[in-house]
Amino acid sequence: MSGEVLLRAEGLAAAVDRRYVLLDLGLELRAGEVTAIAGENGAGKTTLLGLLAGERAPDRGTVRLAGVALAEADPAALASRIGVLGHRPGLYLELSAVENVVLFAALAGRPCTAAEALAHLQSVGLAAADAARPVRHYSRGMAQRAAIARLIASGATIWLLDEPSTGLDRQGCATLRALLRDAADQGRALCVVSHDPELLAAADRRLELRGGQLHDAGGA
Amino acid sequence: MNPSLVLRLTWLLLKKDLRVAARSRETWVLVLLFAILCVLVFAFGFLREGGDGAEVVPGALWVTLQFSATVALMRLFSAEEEAGALTTVSRSVAGSAPLFFSKALMQLIFTGGVTLTVLPLVLVFFGATAMPIGPTLAALLLGLLGQAVVGTLVAGLMLRVRQRDVLLPLVLYPILAPTLIAGVKVTAISASGGDPEVIATWLRLMVVFDAVFVLACPWLYARASGP
Repeated sequence: MSGEVLLRAEGLAAAVDRRYVLLDLGLELRAGEVTAIAGENGAGKTTLLGLLAGERAPDRGTVRLAGVALAEADPAALASRIGVLGHRPGLYLELSAVENVVLFAALAGRPCTAAEALAHLQSVGLAAADAARPVRHYSRGMAQRAAIARLIASGATIWLLDEPSTGLDRQGCATLRALLRDAADQGRALCVVSHDPELLAAADRRLELRGGQLHDAGGA
Repeated sequence: MNPSLVLRLTWLLLKKDLRVAARSRETWVLVLLFAILCVLVFAFGFLREGGDGAEVVPGALWVTLQFSATVALMRLFSAEEEAGALTTVSRSVAGSAPLFFSKALMQLIFTGGVTLTVLPLVLVFFGATAMPIGPTLAALLLGLLGQAVVGTLVAGLMLRVRQRDVLLPLVLYPILAPTLIAGVKVTAISASGGDPEVIATWLRLMVVFDAVFVLACPWLYARASGP
């Protein structure tokens, strides 16, 4: 199914504090493709991801998931098909990484066992001993790894990632790039917002958000 | 919506909340200490030598429980806020219903636990151990259920509101007024050995209040917590 459009945004407009940051914006996320979006601070990248995830409603335009507008989409379809990695890791601090992954996988409709959760965590470089500790004691980088494992376990076909390399060391960044490539090769559609040049270079399609619209910034 | 899925995810989120509460302990300790302090203040403030302490029981009991419940409500979504996970959790495969129900149940467990501590304290401090306790227990159960569902709705909707700690009680108590008045009346009438028929009428009012809000609040929460 490589190349199939999984998520389509048309004529999107969104205002933040009465100022339009997105204007008549269109975007297609295709299966098997990593789309990277760069842009200056305040350009509207996080707002765009929020619209694509259905977390906020656009002032104009629509986002369609498999042809259905997000506003009318079944919550089950949204939760199971769109996975989001936001600015913050989004993990319960008093729970261990394993407990978090098991919980969020169930909420996304993909229940997994503790052993499967641990395998996901180890695939992003988190040791078993660390995975059993409460997230409160993690460094930012460790929490980010656990958040990435949470995204993998969700089984979502569309991944929306906001600065996913935040807090990661060089090894972690390399693991992340390989993981994103694998996810795309497995037929997922990925949209990555980042300032990380290496992450941007690894994308299939690079776009820049400027003046409320997306501009082609080249591709691999 | 699939009811069995809602139930399963509600149980999962409730287990998570219980685990978080057991590990952090801060909310339990905070609410319990606050409740005990309230009872002590009422005891020192209202008890007079030779006075009838039982007269003060309805006010002391219900005000203590409502104040404590409000403190618990302010912390109800704190784990989600701390984690930045509110959006993800409220958008599960079963929608926002599991989050709402798990939070309302958690609030009920909190306030139930506080009630089990506060009720014997109030009865002993105010010399009302001989008071018939059955109607008061029924009123407490109904009152705390109403408080939990309405409180969860209001606390959930105010998460993005500035100064919500001040606004929460201002919005909450006018809505809760009918069930609160009924609860206080039930305790007062049963403490003075009043007519069981009148007690039953006040309890029926509380049942109707709970029925309306148990049905309305999850729906309102789902409507309001969407994009």
